[in-house]
Amino acid sequence: MRISLVVHVIGLIVRVFGLMTLAPLAVALLYGEYRDAAGFAIATVVTCMAGQVMRRAGGSGAEDAVERMRRVEGLAVVSGAWLLIAAFASLPYVWAGLGVIDAMFESMSGLTTTGATVFRDFAQFGRGIFFWRSLTQWLGGMGVIALFVAILPRLAIGGREMFFAEASGPDDEKVTPQIRRTAAVLWQVYAALTAIQTVALRLTGMSWYDSVSHAFTTLAAGGFSPHPLSLAGYQNPAAEWVIIVFMTLAGANFALQYRALARRDHRLITGDEELRAYAGVVIVATALLVWATQLPLLSESALRTALFQVLSILTTTGYASVDFQLWNDQAKAILLGLMFIGGCAGSAAGGPKVVRHVLLAKFTLHELRRALHPHAVLPVKLAGRVVPAHIVQGVIVFFLFYMLTFAMCTAVVVLLGADLVTGISATAACLGNVGPGFNLVGPMSHFGDLHPISRMALTATMWIGRLEVITVLVIIRPEAWRAGRWNSE
Amino acid sequence: MRIVIVGGGQIGSSLAKALAAEHEVVVIDHNPDVAAAFHHIDAELLIGSGTSQDMLKRARIEDARFFVATTPLDEVNVVACAIANRMSNPETICVVSRSDFLPDGQAGVGLRDFGIDRVLWPEAQLAADIEGVVSAPGAIDAEIFAGGRIRLLEYRLGTGSVMVGKTLGALHLPRGSLIVAVKRAGALFVPRGATVLQADDKVIVMGAPSAIQEVHRLIHPARAGGDIEVTIVGGGDVGLQLAERLERSPACQVRIVERDPARGEMLAARLTRTLVLNGDGTDLEFLESENVGRSDVLVCVIDNDERNLLASLLGRQLGVPKIVTRVSRPTNLRLFERVGIDVALSARAAAVASILHQITGGASSLLAVVEHGEARVLELVVSDRFEPRPLKQIGAPADVIVGAILRGSEVIVPRGDDQISPGDRLIVFSTREAAERVQAYFHGFDS
Repeated sequence: MRISLVVHVIGLIVRVFGLMTLAPLAVALLYGEYRDAAGFAIATVVTCMAGQVMRRAGGSGAEDAVERMRRVEGLAVVSGAWLLIAAFASLPYVWAGLGVIDAMFESMSGLTTTGATVFRDFAQFGRGIFFWRSLTQWLGGMGVIALFVAILPRLAIGGREMFFAEASGPDDEKVTPQIRRTAAVLWQVYAALTAIQTVALRLTGMSWYDSVSHAFTTLAAGGFSPHPLSLAGYQNPAAEWVIIVFMTLAGANFALQYRALARRDHRLITGDEELRAYAGVVIVATALLVWATQLPLLSESALRTALFQVLSILTTTGYASVDFQLWNDQAKAILLGLMFIGGCAGSAAGGPKVVRHVLLAKFTLHELRRALHPHAVLPVKLAGRVVPAHIVQGVIVFFLFYMLTFAMCTAVVVLLGADLVTGISATAACLGNVGPGFNLVGPMSHFGDLHPISRMALTATMWIGRLEVITVLVIIRPEAWRAGRWNSE
Repeated sequence: MRIVIVGGGQIGSSLAKALAAEHEVVVIDHNPDVAAAFHHIDAELLIGSGTSQDMLKRARIEDARFFVATTPLDEVNVVACAIANRMSNPETICVVSRSDFLPDGQAGVGLRDFGIDRVLWPEAQLAADIEGVVSAPGAIDAEIFAGGRIRLLEYRLGTGSVMVGKTLGALHLPRGSLIVAVKRAGALFVPRGATVLQADDKVIVMGAPSAIQEVHRLIHPARAGGDIEVTIVGGGDVGLQLAERLERSPACQVRIVERDPARGEMLAARLTRTLVLNGDGTDLEFLESENVGRSDVLVCVIDNDERNLLASLLGRQLGVPKIVTRVSRPTNLRLFERVGIDVALSARAAAVASILHQITGGASSLLAVVEHGEARVLELVVSDRFEPRPLKQIGAPADVIVGAILRGSEVIVPRGDDQISPGDRLIVFSTREAAERVQAYFHGFDS
């Protein structure tokens, strides 16, 4: 691993990311929040300068090596960039009065589209801060690396490894043969959907500011809302339906949506195995939830409430249109189960992803069948095509590490004083990038009352969960660093 | 007439042997080793490439009526036919072993674009033939004609069969079906109304699918309907195609045994419902552990006659009721049936018969060869000069039976009163000896 190259590329990304703070700066100025505006201005300058320093530190050798980036270097850049970007994105929160641990938690929760918050009192913060919170989710939803691969010509070739290290799901798929064009197309679809949703929300009577904020955090499957009671604070059924539709889209594969739209072929949608499983989960879970909550059957509000909560948790968005902390244990158990499923691969959603469950189920069934026919050749297939063995193994390893991370972080949170339901749900919600959990960390509550070390551990699990475990775990292996040299090998 | 054959392998040499007595046959093969096979064949053998214009000139392609490409390489066959077609204009027959060169509906490149008049895909034909046999449990041979509107099945009558001991006239077969032939003690004949059926006779029944279904129930009351378990040994081209055809029918549980692990993975990737087993079909322990004896049908399509025979006999030992085996060397065909295999089929023998018919058969087309060439099913068009009259009055040659009349979209399984008119297409069952006479009869009849 050439560390100079990693530092150089991270610098390149951080420098451009600094410019993103100009957007909340404009919003803060617009609403006359001059103190916050100063914070955003400082954050912009500090971030850009830090990026420039890192870029230079890599030296001229690194500049030439970008196009020959190796896999491990790609993983290191992605892991490192996400961590550093989260650190720089936390500067405005620190300026607004949050402690360092809380600021880092909020910032990581935003970028990883988790949506868990440590804001105790929403009235304490200005509109610029809330806009920044929503914007970080929007940027993180499609992937910051994908964005920079799309806009930075320097990463046109070297961006390949990074793009796949950040992308969600077990398989590498591209919309177009060129990685740069793929990233650009995906971002365009994402931006277009965001624009449509903003207008749709505005038509339901939301203010422009709230419409933009919610569109940003819906498409990203993020879940931050400027309102302390989330969507329950608006009591706007039409807006909830709009959000239901766009959460569904955010949890589905964007590349697939683009292809179906570009070729005008609905069979791509109806024939996709993962999408069918996704739809099946939504229908079954909604029916179960209507039953468990004893909402009046066959009423619009029951359907809307159940569907909203199911999609919010399944797509790992994390909005709440009712305080589901008040629901019974059956309903909570269903929601907790959904946290371990997640959305589709190639979507903005977090969690283990539907396709991994499909592959794991098929693999398990094949192993059972192998007991009857010891000589059988049983490849795992998806839509009639064989899934290579290394990908199936990757899925199994993913689940192992996912559950291991879950167990370890739960242990930390519970040992540091939280009750078991809080510990389990907080960890599941952070690792799956969902957002709210139950009890102490319920949808109308916040994570601020957890032990500081718990908050740090949860911040780390958000990072691990967003980059799908393996990307981060490879980098923390000593081996990756022992073989590292500053400049050459 | 001059016939040029490219490729002196099994198909090429069998063709040359059959044609050499009456025609000028030139065989081109690049491998000098094939010469040994041609010692006893009165044909000219040229050693060289079948795609070289120089070789084709030496074979005097300009005088040839037919050009047959039979090498194992599809590309060579297609190119050879294309070159022959450009140099002069013989009728070209091209043997292929993959689907790549078959005309693919509207969009694909048709072989006519390469100047090929007729394509023959022996493996696909064999897979289709075996499918016919397998999908009619109890029957030992089966064919489908006229796009599925006419079927032919062959049964062996057991001692307890309801048909034994009765005359055909007393049988009251369902309307739309006919017993077209009986094979008894090695001799095949077309039965008359007074023929009495005996145990161990093989009867060949022809008719519309619904009527055939009823006949099937009559002969095998217990076995009609229900799932069929088929085990295929050998995952080569034929095995794969057969599995692909069989797994389309929901009533078929298909298993395929393949020895080569890499080939097994490829099969598992291509097939959806078929269970692919990695093992040796000639290994008794393996066959027992996978409970192959429980299968209704065992199909052995390994590309090696000896191993095929071994697998078939093991299957018989394990108690499989019906065994279908592929035979590569046509000389082995009779031997295989003698040692107890129900149906032995040879793709190459069928291909050779089909090409021979194409070259020497004239205007009628050969639909099937039954009982290793002892009988054939022909389709022929009634000539314009033929005077319309009922079937019972035409006094057709002995050992010939009209199985069906195709008139437009109509299919008639005829009785004596049914009319035959010019322009009708007849599906005719005939013994080998009578085949030439029947063609002459319906073509040249002048009353």
